[in-house]
Amino acid sequence: MSRVPFYLKERLEALRERVLREEFEASKLPPWERVVLTWAVLMTFWVVVSGSFSANNLALGAVVTLIIAAFMRDLLTEDIRRSGNIIEKLIYFAFIYLPQYLVIMAFRLLESNLKVAKNVIFMDINPGIVKIKTDLHSDTGVTILANSITLTPGTLTLDVKKKLDGTYLYIHWIDLETLNREKAGEKIKGDIEEWLKKVFW
Amino acid sequence: MAQESLLVSAFYLLVFTAMLITYRVVRGPTLPDRVVALNAITTKVVVIIAVVSVIRGEYYLVDLAIVLLMVNAVGGLILAKYMERRALYD
Amino acid sequence: MIEIILMLFGGAVMLFGALGILRFPDVYTRLHAATKCDTGGAMGIILALILIMDAPAVVRAKFLVLAFLIAMINPMVSHAIARGAYRYGVKPKVVVDMYAWDNS
Repeated sequence: MSRVPFYLKERLEALRERVLREEFEASKLPPWERVVLTWAVLMTFWVVVSGSFSANNLALGAVVTLIIAAFMRDLLTEDIRRSGNIIEKLIYFAFIYLPQYLVIMAFRLLESNLKVAKNVIFMDINPGIVKIKTDLHSDTGVTILANSITLTPGTLTLDVKKKLDGTYLYIHWIDLETLNREKAGEKIKGDIEEWLKKVFW
Repeated sequence: MAQESLLVSAFYLLVFTAMLITYRVVRGPTLPDRVVALNAITTKVVVIIAVVSVIRGEYYLVDLAIVLLMVNAVGGLILAKYMERRALYD
Repeated sequence: MIEIILMLFGGAVMLFGALGILRFPDVYTRLHAATKCDTGGAMGIILALILIMDAPAVVRAKFLVLAFLIAMINPMVSHAIARGAYRYGVKPKVVVDMYAWDNS
Protein backbone atom coordinates (compact mmCIF):
# COMPACT_ATOMS: atom_id res chain seq x y z
CA MET A 1 0.00 0.00 0.00
CA SER A 2 2.88 2.29 -0.71
CA ARG A 3 1.53 4.23 -3.68
CA VAL A 4 -2.13 4.90 -3.02
CA PRO A 5 -3.71 7.97 -4.64
CA PHE A 6 -4.73 10.61 -2.17
CA TYR A 7 -8.45 10.41 -2.93
CA LEU A 8 -8.36 6.70 -2.15
CA LYS A 9 -6.37 7.22 0.99
CA GLU A 10 -9.11 9.14 2.79
CA ARG A 11 -11.65 6.49 1.82
CA LEU A 12 -9.39 3.74 3.19
CA GLU A 13 -8.92 5.58 6.47
CA ALA A 14 -12.70 5.95 6.87
CA LEU A 15 -13.23 2.28 6.08
CA ARG A 16 -10.63 1.17 8.60
CA GLU A 17 -12.19 3.36 11.26
CA ARG A 18 -15.61 1.86 10.59
CA VAL A 19 -14.24 -1.68 10.88
CA LEU A 20 -12.66 -0.77 14.21
CA ARG A 21 -15.93 0.73 15.39
CA GLU A 22 -17.93 -2.37 14.48
CA GLU A 23 -15.43 -4.58 16.21
CA PHE A 24 -15.80 -2.36 19.26
CA GLU A 25 -19.58 -2.65 19.18
CA ALA A 26 -19.41 -6.43 18.83
CA SER A 27 -17.00 -6.89 21.71
CA LYS A 28 -19.17 -5.19 24.32
CA LEU A 29 -20.90 -7.05 27.10
CA PRO A 30 -24.69 -7.55 26.91
CA PRO A 31 -26.71 -4.80 28.67
CA TRP A 32 -27.93 -6.67 31.72
CA GLU A 33 -24.41 -7.82 32.57
CA ARG A 34 -23.25 -4.21 32.39
CA VAL A 35 -26.06 -3.15 34.74
CA VAL A 36 -25.23 -5.94 37.19
CA LEU A 37 -21.51 -5.14 37.25
CA THR A 38 -22.06 -1.41 37.77
CA TRP A 39 -24.64 -2.14 40.46
CA ALA A 40 -22.27 -4.46 42.34
CA VAL A 41 -19.46 -1.89 42.32
CA LEU A 42 -21.71 0.97 43.47
CA MET A 43 -23.36 -1.16 46.17
CA THR A 44 -19.98 -2.17 47.59
CA PHE A 45 -18.90 1.46 47.71
CA TRP A 46 -22.16 2.46 49.42
CA VAL A 47 -21.89 -0.22 52.10
CA VAL A 48 -18.26 0.62 52.87
CA VAL A 49 -18.74 4.38 53.01
CA SER A 50 -22.04 4.44 54.92
CA GLY A 51 -20.74 1.85 57.38
CA SER A 52 -23.97 0.43 58.83
CA PHE A 53 -25.76 -2.82 58.12
CA SER A 54 -29.36 -2.01 59.12
CA ALA A 55 -32.13 -3.15 56.78
CA ASN A 56 -33.34 0.38 56.02
CA ASN A 57 -29.90 1.49 54.97
CA LEU A 58 -29.29 -1.53 52.75
CA ALA A 59 -32.69 -1.21 51.01
CA LEU A 60 -32.20 2.50 50.34
CA GLY A 61 -28.74 1.88 48.94
CA ALA A 62 -29.94 -0.99 46.73
CA VAL A 63 -32.75 1.05 45.17
CA VAL A 64 -30.69 4.18 44.58
CA THR A 65 -27.69 2.34 43.15
CA LEU A 66 -29.95 0.26 40.89
CA ILE A 67 -31.46 3.44 39.41
CA ILE A 68 -28.00 4.97 38.91
CA ALA A 69 -26.66 1.74 37.38
CA ALA A 70 -29.53 1.55 34.89
CA PHE A 71 -28.62 4.98 33.55
CA MET A 72 -24.83 4.85 33.85
CA ARG A 73 -24.20 1.31 32.64
CA ASP A 74 -21.72 2.29 29.92
CA LEU A 75 -19.49 4.39 32.11
CA LEU A 76 -17.44 1.71 33.83
CA THR A 77 -17.87 -1.45 31.85
CA GLU A 78 -17.84 -0.68 28.14
CA ASP A 79 -14.18 -1.60 27.73
CA ILE A 80 -14.22 -5.06 29.25
CA ARG A 81 -13.36 -7.89 26.88
CA ARG A 82 -16.22 -10.27 26.22
CA SER A 83 -15.50 -13.89 27.08
CA GLY A 84 -17.35 -16.73 28.77
CA ASN A 85 -19.84 -16.74 31.58
CA ILE A 86 -20.15 -13.75 33.89
CA ILE A 87 -19.96 -15.66 37.20
CA GLU A 88 -16.90 -17.59 36.08
CA LYS A 89 -15.27 -14.41 34.90
CA LEU A 90 -15.98 -12.59 38.16
CA ILE A 91 -14.46 -15.44 40.17
CA TYR A 92 -11.39 -15.49 37.92
CA PHE A 93 -11.04 -11.72 38.24
CA ALA A 94 -11.42 -11.59 42.00
CA PHE A 95 -9.19 -14.53 42.91
CA ILE A 96 -6.55 -14.72 40.17
CA TYR A 97 -6.17 -11.54 38.14
CA LEU A 98 -6.55 -8.91 40.85
CA PRO A 99 -4.09 -10.41 43.40
CA GLN A 100 -1.59 -10.93 40.57
CA TYR A 101 -1.80 -7.25 39.62
CA LEU A 102 -1.62 -6.09 43.23
CA VAL A 103 1.49 -8.16 43.94
CA ILE A 104 3.23 -6.94 40.77
CA MET A 105 2.41 -3.30 41.51
CA ALA A 106 3.40 -3.53 45.20
CA PHE A 107 6.90 -4.73 44.39
CA ARG A 108 7.25 -2.21 41.55
CA LEU A 109 6.22 0.61 43.92
CA LEU A 110 8.74 -0.49 46.55
CA GLU A 111 11.51 -0.62 43.96
CA SER A 112 10.60 2.81 42.57
CA ASN A 113 10.64 4.37 46.04
CA LEU A 114 14.11 3.01 46.71
CA LYS A 115 15.27 4.23 43.29
CA VAL A 116 13.97 7.76 43.88
CA ALA A 117 15.72 7.81 47.27
CA LYS A 118 18.96 6.75 45.57
CA ASN A 119 18.52 9.44 42.91
CA VAL A 120 17.88 12.10 45.54
CA ILE A 121 21.03 11.22 47.44
CA PHE A 122 23.47 10.83 44.54
CA MET A 123 21.80 13.04 41.86
CA ASP A 124 22.89 10.70 39.03
CA ILE A 125 20.08 11.55 36.61
CA ASN A 126 20.13 11.42 32.82
CA PRO A 127 16.58 12.27 31.70
CA GLY A 128 14.98 11.89 28.29
CA ILE A 129 11.57 11.65 26.64
CA VAL A 130 10.92 8.51 24.59
CA LYS A 131 7.94 7.25 22.62
CA ILE A 132 6.56 3.72 22.93
CA LYS A 133 3.66 1.83 21.39
CA THR A 134 1.05 -0.40 22.97
CA ASP A 135 -1.63 -2.59 21.43
CA LEU A 136 -4.44 -1.55 23.76
CA HIS A 137 -7.26 0.53 22.27
CA SER A 138 -9.79 1.09 25.02
CA ASP A 139 -9.89 4.15 27.27
CA THR A 140 -9.89 2.27 30.56
CA GLY A 141 -7.05 -0.01 29.56
CA VAL A 142 -4.85 2.87 28.40
CA THR A 143 -5.64 4.81 31.59
CA ILE A 144 -4.67 1.93 33.86
CA LEU A 145 -1.55 1.26 31.79
CA ALA A 146 -0.50 4.94 32.03
CA ASN A 147 -1.10 5.02 35.79
CA SER A 148 0.91 1.83 36.25
CA ILE A 149 3.75 3.24 34.14
CA THR A 150 3.79 6.34 36.33
CA LEU A 151 4.18 4.19 39.42
CA THR A 152 6.93 1.93 38.02
CA PRO A 153 10.56 2.89 38.70
CA GLY A 154 11.95 5.87 36.83
CA THR A 155 9.17 6.60 34.35
CA LEU A 156 6.39 9.19 34.05
CA THR A 157 3.67 9.34 31.39
CA LEU A 158 3.64 12.68 29.59
CA ASP A 159 1.02 12.33 26.85
CA VAL A 160 -1.16 9.78 25.08
CA LYS A 161 -1.86 9.79 21.32
CA LYS A 162 -4.39 7.41 19.83
CA LYS A 163 -3.76 6.27 16.29
CA LEU A 164 -5.53 3.61 14.27
CA ASP A 165 -2.85 0.94 14.57
CA GLY A 166 -2.32 1.33 18.28
CA THR A 167 -1.74 3.84 21.03
CA TYR A 168 1.45 5.83 21.43
CA LEU A 169 2.68 6.95 24.84
CA TYR A 170 5.32 9.61 25.52
CA ILE A 171 7.38 8.68 28.56
CA HIS A 172 9.68 10.91 30.58
CA TRP A 173 12.46 8.57 31.65
CA ILE A 174 14.72 9.70 34.44
CA ASP A 175 17.57 7.32 33.63
CA LEU A 176 17.73 6.93 29.86
CA GLU A 177 19.01 3.53 28.76
CA THR A 178 17.93 2.92 25.17
CA LEU A 179 16.25 4.77 22.32
CA ASN A 180 14.96 1.77 20.38
CA ARG A 181 11.17 1.66 20.55
CA GLU A 182 10.74 -2.09 21.07
CA LYS A 183 13.47 -2.38 23.68
CA ALA A 184 12.22 0.68 25.55
CA GLY A 185 8.65 -0.65 25.48
CA GLU A 186 9.82 -4.01 26.76
CA LYS A 187 11.70 -2.36 29.60
CA ILE A 188 8.97 0.14 30.53
CA LYS A 189 5.76 -1.85 30.19
CA GLY A 190 6.98 -5.17 31.51
CA ASP A 191 4.26 -7.72 32.09
CA ILE A 192 1.50 -5.24 32.94
CA GLU A 193 0.39 -4.98 29.33
CA GLU A 194 0.05 -8.75 29.04
CA TRP A 195 -2.08 -8.69 32.16
CA LEU A 196 -4.29 -5.86 30.89
CA LYS A 197 -4.87 -7.54 27.53
CA LYS A 198 -6.69 -10.38 29.25
CA VAL A 199 -9.31 -8.09 30.78
CA PHE A 200 -9.65 -5.06 28.51
CA TRP A 201 -9.57 -5.00 24.74
CA MET B 1 2.02 3.19 75.00
CA ALA B 2 4.61 2.65 72.34
CA GLN B 3 2.07 2.82 69.55
CA GLU B 4 0.69 6.20 70.55
CA SER B 5 4.17 7.74 70.65
CA LEU B 6 4.83 6.18 67.23
CA LEU B 7 1.70 7.82 65.85
CA VAL B 8 2.54 11.20 67.36
CA SER B 9 6.07 11.08 65.97
CA ALA B 10 4.67 10.19 62.53
CA PHE B 11 2.34 13.20 62.83
CA TYR B 12 5.25 15.55 63.58
CA LEU B 13 7.33 14.05 60.76
CA LEU B 14 4.51 14.65 58.25
CA VAL B 15 4.09 18.26 59.42
CA PHE B 16 7.85 18.76 59.04
CA THR B 17 7.86 17.42 55.45
CA ALA B 18 4.88 19.63 54.57
CA MET B 19 6.80 22.65 55.87
CA LEU B 20 9.83 21.64 53.80
CA ILE B 21 7.72 21.61 50.63
CA THR B 22 6.32 25.05 51.49
CA TYR B 23 9.70 26.44 50.41
CA ARG B 24 8.99 25.22 46.87
CA VAL B 25 5.52 26.81 46.94
CA VAL B 26 6.90 30.20 48.01
CA ARG B 27 9.77 30.45 45.54
CA GLY B 28 9.19 28.04 42.70
CA PRO B 29 10.60 29.53 39.50
CA THR B 30 7.46 28.79 37.46
CA LEU B 31 3.76 28.12 37.96
CA PRO B 32 3.90 24.30 37.47
CA ASP B 33 6.42 23.99 40.31
CA ARG B 34 3.95 25.59 42.67
CA VAL B 35 1.15 23.33 41.48
CA VAL B 36 3.27 20.21 42.03
CA ALA B 37 4.22 21.33 45.52
CA LEU B 38 0.60 22.17 46.41
CA ASN B 39 -0.56 18.72 45.31
CA ALA B 40 2.14 17.06 47.41
CA ILE B 41 1.13 19.15 50.44
CA THR B 42 -2.53 18.20 50.01
CA THR B 43 -1.69 14.49 49.89
CA LYS B 44 0.32 14.90 53.07
CA VAL B 45 -2.62 16.70 54.72
CA VAL B 46 -4.87 13.75 53.81
CA VAL B 47 -2.48 11.35 55.53
CA ILE B 48 -2.23 13.72 58.53
CA ILE B 49 -6.03 13.67 58.90
CA ALA B 50 -6.02 9.85 58.82
CA VAL B 51 -3.29 9.73 61.52
CA VAL B 52 -5.18 12.23 63.71
CA SER B 53 -8.38 10.20 63.40
CA VAL B 54 -6.55 7.12 64.68
CA ILE B 55 -4.84 9.04 67.51
CA ARG B 56 -8.06 10.56 68.86
CA GLY B 57 -10.25 7.56 68.07
CA GLU B 58 -12.78 9.56 66.07
CA TYR B 59 -13.12 7.61 62.86
CA TYR B 60 -15.57 9.88 61.10
CA LEU B 61 -12.61 12.08 60.13
CA VAL B 62 -11.72 9.51 57.44
CA ASP B 63 -14.73 10.62 55.40
CA LEU B 64 -13.32 14.13 55.51
CA ALA B 65 -9.99 12.81 54.21
CA ILE B 66 -11.70 11.04 51.29
CA VAL B 67 -13.61 14.19 50.35
CA LEU B 68 -10.44 16.32 50.56
CA LEU B 69 -8.68 13.84 48.27
CA MET B 70 -11.45 14.06 45.66
CA VAL B 71 -11.44 17.88 45.81
CA ASN B 72 -7.66 17.74 45.36
CA ALA B 73 -8.10 15.68 42.18
CA VAL B 74 -10.60 18.11 40.68
CA GLY B 75 -8.46 21.10 41.65
CA GLY B 76 -5.34 19.61 40.11
CA LEU B 77 -7.14 18.85 36.84
CA ILE B 78 -8.55 22.40 36.70
CA LEU B 79 -5.11 23.92 37.31
CA ALA B 80 -3.60 21.72 34.58
CA LYS B 81 -6.30 22.76 32.10
CA TYR B 82 -5.69 26.40 33.08
CA MET B 83 -2.00 26.05 32.30
CA GLU B 84 -2.79 24.54 28.88
CA ARG B 85 -5.23 27.32 28.02
CA ARG B 86 -3.03 30.13 29.28
CA ALA B 87 -0.28 29.19 26.86
CA LEU B 88 -2.66 29.98 23.99
CA TYR B 89 -3.45 33.50 25.11
CA ASP B 90 -0.06 34.94 26.06
CA MET C 1 6.23 -5.39 64.85
CA ILE C 2 5.36 -5.23 61.16
CA GLU C 3 3.36 -2.04 61.64
CA ILE C 4 6.44 -0.28 63.10
CA ILE C 5 8.45 -1.29 60.02
CA LEU C 6 5.71 -0.08 57.68
CA MET C 7 5.35 3.22 59.52
CA LEU C 8 9.11 3.89 59.52
CA PHE C 9 9.30 3.01 55.81
CA GLY C 10 6.42 5.37 55.00
CA GLY C 11 7.94 8.23 56.97
CA ALA C 12 11.37 7.78 55.41
CA VAL C 13 9.90 7.67 51.90
CA MET C 14 7.85 10.82 52.58
CA LEU C 15 11.00 12.60 53.80
CA PHE C 16 12.97 11.56 50.70
CA GLY C 17 10.11 12.77 48.51
CA ALA C 18 10.20 16.19 50.15
CA LEU C 19 13.99 16.36 49.71
CA GLY C 20 13.53 15.36 46.07
CA ILE C 21 11.05 18.18 45.49
CA LEU C 22 13.62 20.57 46.94
CA ARG C 23 16.68 19.25 45.12
CA PHE C 24 15.74 18.15 41.59
CA PRO C 25 16.46 20.57 38.74
CA ASP C 26 13.22 20.92 36.72
CA VAL C 27 9.46 20.31 36.89
CA TYR C 28 9.33 16.79 35.44
CA THR C 29 11.94 15.28 37.75
CA ARG C 30 10.19 16.97 40.68
CA LEU C 31 6.98 15.29 39.55
CA HIS C 32 8.81 11.94 39.69
CA ALA C 33 9.74 12.55 43.33
CA ALA C 34 6.32 13.93 44.30
CA THR C 35 4.17 11.20 42.73
CA LYS C 36 6.12 8.05 43.59
CA CYS C 37 7.17 9.01 47.08
CA ASP C 38 3.77 10.40 48.05
CA THR C 39 1.94 7.31 46.84
CA GLY C 40 4.35 4.84 48.42
CA GLY C 41 4.61 6.68 51.70
CA ALA C 42 0.86 7.16 52.02
CA MET C 43 0.24 3.46 51.29
CA GLY C 44 2.80 2.44 53.92
CA ILE C 45 1.43 4.75 56.61
CA ILE C 46 -2.21 3.81 55.93
CA LEU C 47 -1.45 0.07 56.02
CA ALA C 48 0.35 0.62 59.33
CA LEU C 49 -2.69 2.51 60.65
CA ILE C 50 -4.97 -0.38 59.64
CA LEU C 51 -2.78 -2.79 61.58
CA ILE C 52 -2.47 -0.53 64.64
CA MET C 53 -6.04 0.57 65.35
CA ASP C 54 -8.68 -1.43 67.20
CA ALA C 55 -11.94 -0.74 65.38
CA PRO C 56 -14.69 -2.69 63.57
CA ALA C 57 -13.91 -4.06 60.14
CA VAL C 58 -16.00 -1.45 58.32
CA VAL C 59 -13.65 1.32 59.46
CA ARG C 60 -10.66 -0.64 58.21
CA ALA C 61 -12.42 -1.07 54.87
CA LYS C 62 -12.84 2.71 54.79
CA PHE C 63 -9.09 3.13 55.20
CA LEU C 64 -8.57 0.65 52.36
CA VAL C 65 -10.86 2.75 50.17
CA LEU C 66 -8.73 5.78 51.04
CA ALA C 67 -5.55 3.92 50.01
CA PHE C 68 -7.15 2.77 46.73
CA LEU C 69 -8.27 6.31 45.90
CA ILE C 70 -4.79 7.68 46.59
CA ALA C 71 -3.29 5.05 44.29
CA MET C 72 -5.75 5.91 41.50
CA ILE C 73 -5.87 9.72 41.78
CA ASN C 74 -2.23 10.65 42.41
CA PRO C 75 -0.72 9.38 39.11
CA MET C 76 -3.66 10.80 37.15
CA VAL C 77 -3.14 14.32 38.52
CA SER C 78 0.61 14.08 37.96
CA HIS C 79 0.04 13.10 34.32
CA ALA C 80 -2.29 16.07 33.82
CA ILE C 81 0.19 18.47 35.42
CA ALA C 82 3.07 17.16 33.28
CA ARG C 83 1.09 17.69 30.08
CA GLY C 84 -0.06 21.11 31.21
CA ALA C 85 3.48 22.14 32.09
CA TYR C 86 4.73 21.08 28.66
CA ARG C 87 1.97 23.03 26.91
CA TYR C 88 2.62 25.99 29.23
CA GLY C 89 6.11 26.26 27.80
CA VAL C 90 8.45 24.81 30.40
CA LYS C 91 11.35 23.31 28.46
CA PRO C 92 12.59 20.03 29.97
CA LYS C 93 16.32 19.61 30.62
CA VAL C 94 16.67 16.34 28.73
CA VAL C 95 19.09 14.53 26.44
CA VAL C 96 16.51 13.58 23.79
CA ASP C 97 12.99 14.95 23.40
CA MET C 98 10.77 12.89 21.10
CA TYR C 99 7.67 14.84 22.12
CA ALA C 100 9.06 18.01 20.54
CA TRP C 101 9.94 16.10 17.36
CA ASP C 102 6.30 15.23 16.76
CA ASN C 103 4.67 18.48 17.87
CA SER C 104 6.69 21.33 16.40
